[in-house]
Parts: sequence; C-alpha cells; structure tokens
Amino acid sequence: MNRNGFTPRCRLLAGAALATGLLAGLAGPASAAWSYAEAAKPYKGTTIHVLDEITPLQETLAKLVPTFTEETGIKVEYELLNHFEVINKGQADMLSGRGYYDAIMLHGFQLGPMLDAGVLRPIDDLKANAALADPDFDEADLIEPAYKTTAFSGGKQYGFLNWNYNQIYWARGDLFGDPGEQAAFKAKYGYALAPATTFKQLRDIAEFFTRPAGATLAGKTLDSPFYGIVLEGIKGGSTFLSMWGNFIKSYGGDIVDADGHPTFDTPTNVEAIAAWAELWKFAPPGTAEYSLIDVPTVMGNGIAAQAIAWSDFVLGIDRPGASPYAGKFLYGAMPYKEGMEAKRSVEGEPSAIVISQASKNPEATFLFLQWLVEKQQQTKLLEAGQGGVPIRESSWSLPVMQDGPLAGMFKAMKSSLEVTTGKPKMPKFYELYDALTGISQEIGLGKLSPAEGAAKAQKAMLGICDPCLLK
Amino acid sequence: MAAIDTDLAVSPASATEPRWYPYALIAPAMITFVLVALVPFLFAVFISFHQMKYGRLGDFAGFENYGALLSDSRFWNSMAIAALFVAIAVPLEFMLGLAGALMLCRPIWGRSALVPLLFIPTTMAPIVVGLLWKIMLAGSWGLLSTNVIEPLGLVGEISIFASPDLALYALIFVDVWQWTPFMMLAFFAGLQALPVNPYRAAAVDGATPVQAFFRLTLPMMAPLLVVIGLLRLIDAFKVFDSIFILTGGGPGTSTEMPSVLAYKMTFEFWNIGEASALAVVVWLLFFAFCNVFYQLAKKKLNAF
Repeated sequence: MNRNGFTPRCRLLAGAALATGLLAGLAGPASAAWSYAEAAKPYKGTTIHVLDEITPLQETLAKLVPTFTEETGIKVEYELLNHFEVINKGQADMLSGRGYYDAIMLHGFQLGPMLDAGVLRPIDDLKANAALADPDFDEADLIEPAYKTTAFSGGKQYGFLNWNYNQIYWARGDLFGDPGEQAAFKAKYGYALAPATTFKQLRDIAEFFTRPAGATLAGKTLDSPFYGIVLEGIKGGSTFLSMWGNFIKSYGGDIVDADGHPTFDTPTNVEAIAAWAELWKFAPPGTAEYSLIDVPTVMGNGIAAQAIAWSDFVLGIDRPGASPYAGKFLYGAMPYKEGMEAKRSVEGEPSAIVISQASKNPEATFLFLQWLVEKQQQTKLLEAGQGGVPIRESSWSLPVMQDGPLAGMFKAMKSSLEVTTGKPKMPKFYELYDALTGISQEIGLGKLSPAEGAAKAQKAMLGICDPCLLK
Repeated sequence: MAAIDTDLAVSPASATEPRWYPYALIAPAMITFVLVALVPFLFAVFISFHQMKYGRLGDFAGFENYGALLSDSRFWNSMAIAALFVAIAVPLEFMLGLAGALMLCRPIWGRSALVPLLFIPTTMAPIVVGLLWKIMLAGSWGLLSTNVIEPLGLVGEISIFASPDLALYALIFVDVWQWTPFMMLAFFAGLQALPVNPYRAAAVDGATPVQAFFRLTLPMMAPLLVVIGLLRLIDAFKVFDSIFILTGGGPGTSTEMPSVLAYKMTFEFWNIGEASALAVVVWLLFFAFCNVFYQLAKKKLNAF
C-alpha cells in the first residue's frame, strides 16, 4: 500500500477502467445513448407547424406523425393542402416573414425563387449539433442523384429528401395482352406489342390504339373514341416540365447551358419537342385541360391505352375500387430516344421540407424533419401505405416493394429514380414556367410548329432572364 | 303640394339636429369604404412607384414599373382580350336581359315561380359557376362535351376550353349564362316601376307597341339601363374566378384577362410592383371611361 492507499495493481485496474470508460464515452455509447426522446428534452411541449402537400403518401404519413409527439413531447401540427395551395400558402407565409409554418414542403422548382428571396434556413449548423443529429442517420442511403441536386445549394444544405415524385410509363395490360391486338400490332409495325421502352414505340403504340367510336378494341365495339395516350396538357401543373424532363433532356438537350444562358431553340430541342407534340395527335380532345390529377383519373376511366403519369398519383388509381382496370395495368421505365439510353432522363420532382427563416423553433423542427427521413419511419410509411415512393435505397428491398401487387410499378419507379434529378435553381422559375407552359400548349395544339415554338420560347426566356440560374 | 315639400325639407327635427349629425349617419359607410377600398388602393399606388420583389418593399422606382408594364406585349394582349370579352358579353347580356324583362312583363303562366328561379345563376358564387361549366364542357368527360358537342362534331378535334380559338367564346357564354338573368330581373323591376299613364295616352294616340317601346319605355328606363350597363361592363372587365377555374388564362395566353395577369404577377411571379402598376392603369382607364360615359349619358340620354 502506498501513500494514497492504492496498490500498483489497483491503480492499473482503475486506469484501465477509466480508459475504457473514456473510450466508451467518446465512441460507442454516444451512438447508443442518442435518442429522439433525449434530444427533444429541451423542446418538450413545443408546438411546430408543418405544411405538406396532400397525396396518398402524405395521408399515410399523417397517421405516423403522432408517434413523433409520443416519442419526443414535441407537438406537430401537420397540415396537408393540395398541390397549388401548398405552393401559394407556403410561399406567402415564408415571404411575408410571418413564420406561422416552421417548415414547408417545397417542390424542387420552388427552391430557386425561395433561395433567391433568402427565406430558407440552412440546416448545416443543426446537422453539426451532436445533441440534435442522429449519429445513426444513414445519409448515404438517401437516393441519388435526387438528394444532392435538391437539398443543397451554394455549399449549404436546406433540408433532406422528403418526397421523390417521379414519372413513369403506364399501360393497359389487358389490351397489351389481347392476342388479336398483339397480332394486328405486329402485322402493322413489325415488332411485338409490349410496354414502350423507346419514344418510337411510344408513338407507334399511341397511333395503333387511337380509334374512333364504332371501331373494335380487343374484340369489343367501342361506344366512344379510344385514345392511344394520355398526357398532361393544362396551363399549369407539369405540362412543360414533362416535355423538358422526359423529352428534351433525353434527346441530350436542355433549356439552359451550364452557365444558365437560354438554349431553347437548338435543333436537338426542336427534334425532342416534335416527338412530344406528335403524341398529342393520339391523345383525347381535352389534353390541354388535363392536369397531373386528371391524367391518372382519365387513365383509370379506361379511355386510353397508355400514359405518362406521376407514380404517386398512380397509387391512388391502381387499387381495388378506384378503377375497373385496377390490377390490369402494366408499368415501365420512362421511354427514351432510340440509341440514347445512357442519356435517358425522367421528369421528377424530388422535394424537401425546408425550415422557414422565420421559424421560432428550428431545433424542434429539425428533429422532426430528421425523424421523418429515418429508415424506421420510411419503412413504416411504405408498409402502411402498401408501397409508396422511396427516398432511401434500402427501401427498395422491403417486401412490400418487392412482392406486393404493385411490384411492377415500383420497379418502374426505381428505374425512373436512377436518373431523376432536382430542378436547377432558377430565381425566375415561375415567369419561365408560365411562359413556357403556354408555348408548350400552343405547340401541342398545333398552333405553333416545334421550331416556331422553340424560337418563341427562346425569345421569352431571354426576356425573363439571362443567365437563368441562381448565382 | 309645394307646402308639403317645404314641410318635409325643413322639419322641426332637422332644424334642431346638430351639424355633425348627417356626417355621423354616413360615417360607418365612409369608414368602411376608406378602410377596405381607399387605403388599399392608395397603398397599391404607392407600391406601383417602388420596387417590390418577393413582397418586400424596395427603393423608389419612379415610373419603372409602368414602363415595364406598358412595354410588355402580354399586358396589351390581356387588354385586347378583355375588350373583346366585354364588347361581346355585355351587349348580349343587355339585349337578352331587356328582351327577357319585356317578356316577363306580359302575363306569363307561372311567372311568380319563374322569377326566383331566374336568380339562381346570379346568386351562385362565380367559382361554383366555373366548376359547373367545367363539368359540362370539359373535353372527354364533360357532360355536354361527351353527350352533345363531341358526338355532333361541333368543335372539331379538340375540346372547347383547350382550343385557343374557342376558349374565350366559351367563357363569354358562361358569363352571359350567369349574368343575363340579373340584367333581366333588374330591367324587369325597372319596367314594373314605370308609370302607366303615358302608355294609356300613347294608346289613345294610336301608338304601336314598337313606338311605345322606343318613345316611352327606353327614354324612361334610360337612367336604369345606363347604370346597370355600366356596372356590368366594369364587372365583366374584371372577371376572374370563372377564367381561373376553366382555363387559367390559357391555352397559351388566349383567355388571359388583366385580372388573371395581375394575379399571376402578384402571387406567382411575386412582382408586386408591376402588378400594382397594372391595377392603377386599369383604374385610370375606368376612371376616364366612366367620366366620359357619365357626361355622354347625361347630355344625350338625360340619364342622370
């Protein structure tokens, strides 16, 4: 025994225990000890207001949100509004600085104007705060390239990836499987009738199935005309975005160059626009009135053979009771230009719920946003909704995505999301979008040729912005 | 009679009323007017001379917003569309309304039931009218489109609201449908209030019904016709709801009236300075038009 009463052996043991304790304190146990309940303690009793868009996905999520409150004591007013209202009301709240909503769902295209307005709060400091950030949050699991192209701008991060809207190819399996139709198609076009993988096939199938009332379709006489394809064509929604994301980009074109200068009237773009516009000939008369909600509705009503649609809206149609053709649909990846598979592009709208600069509860809001994106919640969300639109790569392996009745659609969705990117950040997006959507309609309706439309669009773009990307 | 008028003009009560009393009586209306109309309008004028991006008031901009607006072909396009809309819709509503009112003055069976029914389109919220006609005329699935218009091949290959050539006329039709009954009932009320004696005298003089209409009815109805016509004209120029629901200003910009353009400038482009300039320009146009109209109506029609 020495002066302090400890033997060397004792000291050695004590040192080892201390070192172990320190190491444990620095590494493993922090990870194990971190919990939402613990992280949320300073914010217990806080109420946060979150605005999101209403689709079947968010309706399912709304049922999970109370578990966050049970876990953390942070009350969440999770408000759901339709596409147009969530844009108008959300932006008005942020721009006015009112701060009623702590967090607002922004579609990718809204990020440019809102970043330009300086109303979004970066989350880098919150993410760097060990008390708030979940060390087990698997960021690398978030689907790319959607995540990086959406949530980041100018070296800062503004949110996670919350919704991963994307378009897919959608067809009537009962018609495609009809032996008579298959034989007639092969006789006319020289290849087998199957879901389109290229734009040429998309066009051929659209032409083949467009028939007047009184004609025969799959052995039955038609009471009313039948159409080869359903497209979105309304002034608003994603008419122009679909033309841009699915066609122009797949042809290797774009509406701006790397520096943001308008390039709408290039020969490549004109060729792509012509391919898109030709499809209007095989679409119902009301195409210029069809919104992103009407397309799946009309497809579900059974007046067309194929469609390009938002996959999350398909979820609302291909289910028992929603459409007489539920269970008979086929899905595929968005077609691409022949020989350009490597360049293929799919219109998508990766979206993020962002924290308003006027939020008085950024920490509590961050915890909620992080919680939403956690693997556990995403699994619950997809299982509760019998599928959905994943934001995590790991979600694809869930049984509900692999073996459920919509497994074919999820496969198509996965293919879309492999190439779906966020919108470039354009401060003048709304002016561009309004002008270009109107011109797209005129091209689709045949009022302008693709070349005339492209020239008009280029002129309109130059009048609005040059360069058009956020600096 | 003169004595009675004098008694009414200077009643004992009015002689003892304090001078502020009349002002107090009109104060509630004036305060409301100032708060909900004048102050916002003056603020819009103020904004129109400033930069205002994303809802934040910037520097004084002089006539910059006006210059940008007046050099914008889209603004002139919207004014032309509005002029066409008003030039067709209002005279149609006026003539149909007057004809209907004259018919209602005749002894028609079930008139007492018909009059309230006629009010239904006018009492409907414009947004409901828009939705109703969307259900009727939408391409492919509209009730009238699928059952009447498309089977008869009335509009060719595309639907009405999807056609840049037809959409505006469809909107005019909807406006006429909604507002003709209002005109009809307003004129009917005016006709009911006309004195009978001039008509009896005209009948004694051998006047035909057509002569009686042009020599008696129209002159006596002139003040009412002018006021109702002017109100309807102003209202038609700023129609918004039905266009917003039915076409959103499209296809292209073929139905984009100034009200729709102002909405887009404000709530979609957040270019509130230029949108305010648009509102002020439209107000100035109407201010000038109403003054000219008033003077003309006063001199030519003895309407006021």
